[in-house]
Amino acid sequence: MAEATDLYGRLAARGITRRDFLKFCGTLAAVMGLSQTAVPQIGAAIAGAAESGLQPALWINGAACTGCTESIAQATDPNVADIVLDILSLPKIETVQMATGEYAEKAGEDFAQANKGKYILICEGAVTTGIDGNFLRIAGEPFQDSLVSFATNALAIVAVGSCAVDGGWTRAYPNPAGGTGVKPYLDGKGIKTPVVNLPGCPVNPLEIIAVVVDALMTGGVDKVVAGLDRQNRPKYLYGSTIHDNCERRGHFENGEFVYQFGSQEEADNYCLYALGCKGPQTYRHCSKLRWNDNISWCVASGGPCIGCGNFNWVDNNTPFRSRMRRVHVGSIGGPGGIGVAKGMAALGGVVVVGIGAHALASKATHRIGKNSTLKNEDMKEYDAKRMKKGGSADA
Amino acid sequence: MPSTNVVIDPLTRIEGHLRIEAVSENGVIKDAWVSSTNYRGMETVLQGRAPEDAHYITMRICGVCPTSHGHASSMSVENALEIKIPNGARLVRNLLEGAEYIHSHILWFYTLAALDYVDPAQALQANVADTYALAVQAGTGTSDFGAVKKRLENLVKGASNPVTDLSIFSNGWWGYNPLDPAEAAKAAALYAPMPPELHLIAVAHYLEAIEMQAEAARIIALIGGKFPHPMTSVAGGTAWSPNDDRIADVLYRFKKLNDWVHGTMIPDTLAIAPFYKGALEYGGGCGNFLAWGVFDRKDLVHENRYMPAGIVRASDLTTVEKADVSKVKEYVEHSWYTSPTGLNPQNGETKAIDSWNDQSYNLDGQYSWGKAPRYDGKPMEVGPLSRMIVAYVTGGDNNAAVKSIVDTALGALGAAGHPEVLVSLLGRVAARNLECAVVSDWTLEWCNELVEAKKGGTADLFEPYSVTSHASGAGLWEAPRGALGHFINIKGGRIDSYQVVTPSTWDLSPRDKDGVRGPMEEALVGTPIADVERPIEAARIVRSFDP
Repeated sequence: MAEATDLYGRLAARGITRRDFLKFCGTLAAVMGLSQTAVPQIGAAIAGAAESGLQPALWINGAACTGCTESIAQATDPNVADIVLDILSLPKIETVQMATGEYAEKAGEDFAQANKGKYILICEGAVTTGIDGNFLRIAGEPFQDSLVSFATNALAIVAVGSCAVDGGWTRAYPNPAGGTGVKPYLDGKGIKTPVVNLPGCPVNPLEIIAVVVDALMTGGVDKVVAGLDRQNRPKYLYGSTIHDNCERRGHFENGEFVYQFGSQEEADNYCLYALGCKGPQTYRHCSKLRWNDNISWCVASGGPCIGCGNFNWVDNNTPFRSRMRRVHVGSIGGPGGIGVAKGMAALGGVVVVGIGAHALASKATHRIGKNSTLKNEDMKEYDAKRMKKGGSADA
Repeated sequence: MPSTNVVIDPLTRIEGHLRIEAVSENGVIKDAWVSSTNYRGMETVLQGRAPEDAHYITMRICGVCPTSHGHASSMSVENALEIKIPNGARLVRNLLEGAEYIHSHILWFYTLAALDYVDPAQALQANVADTYALAVQAGTGTSDFGAVKKRLENLVKGASNPVTDLSIFSNGWWGYNPLDPAEAAKAAALYAPMPPELHLIAVAHYLEAIEMQAEAARIIALIGGKFPHPMTSVAGGTAWSPNDDRIADVLYRFKKLNDWVHGTMIPDTLAIAPFYKGALEYGGGCGNFLAWGVFDRKDLVHENRYMPAGIVRASDLTTVEKADVSKVKEYVEHSWYTSPTGLNPQNGETKAIDSWNDQSYNLDGQYSWGKAPRYDGKPMEVGPLSRMIVAYVTGGDNNAAVKSIVDTALGALGAAGHPEVLVSLLGRVAARNLECAVVSDWTLEWCNELVEAKKGGTADLFEPYSVTSHASGAGLWEAPRGALGHFINIKGGRIDSYQVVTPSTWDLSPRDKDGVRGPMEEALVGTPIADVERPIEAARIVRSFDP
């Protein structure tokens, strides 16, 4: 990797050694389901991209909280400066770009024209379709119109975060702004540009980097698209649940639960299932990828998973403190189940082991008190009934 | 419709979407309109849901300050249910919010605002050896200035077109090409005449700040699981258990940030500020300041917070009043809502218009998705400048740290004894960075206080509670960018109504029922504009609010 000296030099200037960088590549390899023997290839792919001209890209913001831009700003090795200066040529990203006003618009439009069919379009935020798209206007036009023109000429689209994938929280009942995702909106317009979905609130920067590395290594968007599941998500990122690799899993197996925040059980890192953790039905990689330079993740810090990567996550996962009443064993997401998970057997196992624990879980509802979100029904009975139905029915 | 000759849309390098229009006459803005151009419907989505779920959902209002929204939401539930959080939870929340402030202020100054004052193109002209000398003289941090310069040169060299193919810097000089000798002087004239070496220092720190804001975010992740959208400041206290190792890790990172804020961010501010001293003369705005207060002391009294609650009116820096939330009303005469106007947010309603036509955007009529909140009938600026002024005027032992750092900065700007100069563009910029230093100092105190509290058995983390069927409450707090209120009404154990008044609702407010401008609109008036086609001065005013 002699050609990579510039990248290594820059990383070294920030105190990041070649070894740190390869460790990062190792994390990516694990995320992508590759063997550690792939680490040098990943390193070469990133370093090579840094040397061989920048990949054209545009980042557009729909109805967003900017959290996904913030998230990529938390990437570490490479960091966001490495990404926008050494890997991607990104003349449009509203939260960061130097230009403003009409000059910012022109920067994006000219670049799209000059790189027709070559650029990756990264979309953050929902498409708010209400009142003819006028719930979000940019430069005096509905956002949805500029989305169509940028999408039409893109090589591929990456929808980052749950809002861009399916509307995220904006589409939660009663969906006041008519929020929807990029792919559903473009499907309705007959635009066929391939879309890679990276749901989650927010997206994890490593998920974006993994997709870029995937494209670099496999040599093209077609290969990436071929590796998507039925929700257009990379299989290697969304193929297992949070629960599958959870660091608190051992406590779950032992029936050791946290019943109250701030308790000794919490200090002992017991399982958060009794507080409504959505880890068992959430197909995301947080327990392995973790967040913010691998430093922690929700469950590690004591926060039960709220399933932010699930389809229509707010409607399907609330009330967050309640155990899900509508868990469809073996299917992804909630009502209106989408696709069948390969991990059916594993999830079945969760429920079986869970039964022994639910006597304790029901105790949790009493400990917390007359919390409206935790009905005082007997959860053990509820589970027994559900298992009799073959483990797939709603209560 | 008034005939405007300054239009900025989209106003980039902010959170969200914003359009600015203004009338400039003889090189000065005479009138201005601020339009928030996005509606998502958060308050409507919350109706009917569990009160404690609002914590997680409302933080998705803002991906830059989710921590603050989460806190305000939990506090609204606690206020409604009369829950007092225990001492350990208070300290953990202060640490979490403190990290949020440091993160947000660093991100704002370097990533969002700096490119209005600092020119990467002029940095290319810097002499590297002189840059080190200047950095030492300014007392700011040094880094590998040669490598930074080379990196900029490489970026320019690799670009097929120096204006349109410069990644995030593309077209950043308002249509000029700074690399074309014929236009270089015009591009440079957008900025104050600083030496190229100072530009290079600032660009180097622009890159270094990326690591620093990420370090602050890592503290949020340690305590809250991840950033953005941390998970642990639940109603009743905190879900994070601070053992000694965890506190040590947090303290280590806060110390590193403290060194950088005092050793780089503050000296950078003081090195660049003298070149923009003209910005002490305009951009002050409405002169009314509101703070709900942030960072609780043991008594949880808003007026005693580390940054206290209070009201200062009409730029009168001698008197502070108690902030009374019942005096807040939100007007919608110029907003795209059909709900009643003049409601207190506790009983507020948010109903968007249900159709759009060519006349819908009308500067004489409705022109924003923002409402117009008024306190006792007056527009109020919120944010670091408000907090620093309220703390400064409140005075006393609790506010000694603020008074000391403000007085030092005033001395450095040659305005000792004249805090009123802070009511300006430059004052607003400086206030944010000075606040970052003060808060950073407090985070170290809170770590030590938490260690002592654990030893003394006064570090409980959670107060159990029941959701009663009917209750109302307000969570009054401060996001880094200003006063934040969450207002909840619970019926049948569920959210009956929920209203959020964000800092941007205050600062970016359109006109009210009497046609009185919002704080940002007012701050734009009087701003000199050298070239209406390139209104960088207006962009500076807008970004100074950290919208």
